[in-house]
Amino acid sequence: MIKVEGLYHSYTRDENYALKDVNFEVGEGEIFGFLGPSGAGKSTTQGILTGLLQLQKGNVTVAGYDIRNIERKMFNKIGMSFEQSNVYSKMTALENLLFYSKLFDVETRNPLELIKLVGLGGKENIRTGEFSKGMKHRLTFARSMINSPSMWFLDEPTTGLDPAIAAGIKDIIKERNSEGVTIFLTTHNMFIADELCDRVGFIVDGVIRLIDSPKNLKLKYGKKLVEVEYAIDGDVKKETFSTIIQEEKNALNKIISEREILTMHTKEATLEEIFIKVTGRELV
Amino acid sequence: MKIFSSFKKELILASRSFYFYVELGFSLIILAVLLLAVPENFNTTATQYLYFDMPQAAKEIYIDTVLESEPGMESEMVGIEAEGKTYEAQLITTDGEEVYIVDSREALEKLAYEKQNPGAVIRLDDNNQLNFQYYLQGYESTRLKNLISIMFSKDIGTLEKLVEKQEVRYLTTGYESINDRENTIPPIISFSSGLMGMFILASYIFLDKKEGVIKAYAVTASPIWQYLISKIFVVLLTSIVSGLIIIMPVIGLRINYGLVLLLLLTAGFFSSSLGLLIASFYEDLMKAFGVIYLLVILLMVPAIAYFIPGWNPFWIKLIPTYPLMQGFKEIILPEGDITYPLLASAGFLAAGLVLFAFTNIRFKKTLSI
Repeated sequence: MIKVEGLYHSYTRDENYALKDVNFEVGEGEIFGFLGPSGAGKSTTQGILTGLLQLQKGNVTVAGYDIRNIERKMFNKIGMSFEQSNVYSKMTALENLLFYSKLFDVETRNPLELIKLVGLGGKENIRTGEFSKGMKHRLTFARSMINSPSMWFLDEPTTGLDPAIAAGIKDIIKERNSEGVTIFLTTHNMFIADELCDRVGFIVDGVIRLIDSPKNLKLKYGKKLVEVEYAIDGDVKKETFSTIIQEEKNALNKIISEREILTMHTKEATLEEIFIKVTGRELV
Repeated sequence: MKIFSSFKKELILASRSFYFYVELGFSLIILAVLLLAVPENFNTTATQYLYFDMPQAAKEIYIDTVLESEPGMESEMVGIEAEGKTYEAQLITTDGEEVYIVDSREALEKLAYEKQNPGAVIRLDDNNQLNFQYYLQGYESTRLKNLISIMFSKDIGTLEKLVEKQEVRYLTTGYESINDRENTIPPIISFSSGLMGMFILASYIFLDKKEGVIKAYAVTASPIWQYLISKIFVVLLTSIVSGLIIIMPVIGLRINYGLVLLLLLTAGFFSSSLGLLIASFYEDLMKAFGVIYLLVILLMVPAIAYFIPGWNPFWIKLIPTYPLMQGFKEIILPEGDITYPLLASAGFLAAGLVLFAFTNIRFKKTLSI
């Protein structure tokens, strides 16, 4: 669905590159997480993929269209949810979505249904200038679904939302993906990426450092440890065992068979820990 | 369908925005000023007071000679008040001049002082020669003072010859056939309906940039030019309404409104495209303010040439507001040349199309701003 080859971009049009030789592919129906700290090049990449930034060097195809010669009909297949909510503040939520629904050549979704879907039911006739930041963000998210896109770009879709609303947004993303929608998710929130993405790409200073599935990354970079809490002589003891070293595996088996186990956890690494390990940078 | 939807959206936004009502309100204020404060014709009649300090018979001979020298002069007896006292005076009215002949030096001095108009005492001296004593107000120009000096240092015959030698050349025609109020309409419409479009359109774009909605539009299947032209449509609609608010009550139905609309639309299209182009280079109104301000000043310069036809250098004709004002003028004049507004409209349309095409390219490249 997305193919990027040898992508370079410089805002100053010199050797000071914001993106350097970026290469990756996103398959149909995949959720691809593009992870990196602020200023890493995530938004620049997304800007080029959506035609908001001019392609300077490299080859990029999105949904079968060459980004060098953008055709407006390409956007019938594309949806874009921006990190900074951008709706007309002098128009109501319904007026906003009705307007955008008329800008596509394909059958569009019912604006009222979308407003309800993102939890703004009953607020459709309120001007968005009176909305909170989170409400505007949800409306921006709803707008990106108006044309039922098969290629969906999401930039920090849950930023600034309370946990319950964020959970609802994640459910919508999962549901759309289960219907075959390809999703390009830009975020610095590793928990969301871990939960939603089939594959993730780490980008730092305009260079992609690694692309793999969260599961493989954990297997490759995880500590492979099990932490056990058990009761012994009326007291609680906590121990950590390797799942690779035979002696420790035997010791763990012995405790399991002889003691009362209170808690037991695998100590797999988080994506954030892996990111820091791979890039040497924190996700701030 | 997409363009109609964009136009409808722009109408909704305009009806809920500040600028829309500012322009309409501005037009109503201008109309009120034109109808209530600006007279149909500015009073350019010069007033002066004369006192003849000479025997009554000599005075009558002098006045009769003056009345007979120029046909069309009217004479009547009137009373004028000064410092709470009414003075009898003989009023002689000519084309552009009112001369009050009073009966005493005291009346002349009081009237000249209170009404702040010049006066003169004409008397016969001991040699039966006419002697003039002028009461000036201080605001008279050096030219006038020099003229008075020359009148008494040269003999009348020489002066007459010099006057006859002067060539009178009319810089423009038609001023006589419209009144002063109508004559102020072309520059007012040019600036209120024409130039305001540039400022308002740039403001609309900066508002959209601030809200980030241009980016949202850029990822739809609708082309950017439709987004831009829908904004221009709304500005043109506002220009037409605000223009007609001023023109119709002042001039009435005697002019060709088809030509008025054509010139308003084409000039509005040009100035709106200019506003779009400026907005494509800047992030917000504050950053663009310097350029917009300079442009407005430059575009206002032809108004000087409009009101002072003697100052009419070639370069001023290249400033777009010059043909705009002259175009409106030709439409308003009863015997106006309709070729001029038609040619001006064609020029504005062509220039507007070029600017619009360039602006469209600029916006395609600068959507990330």
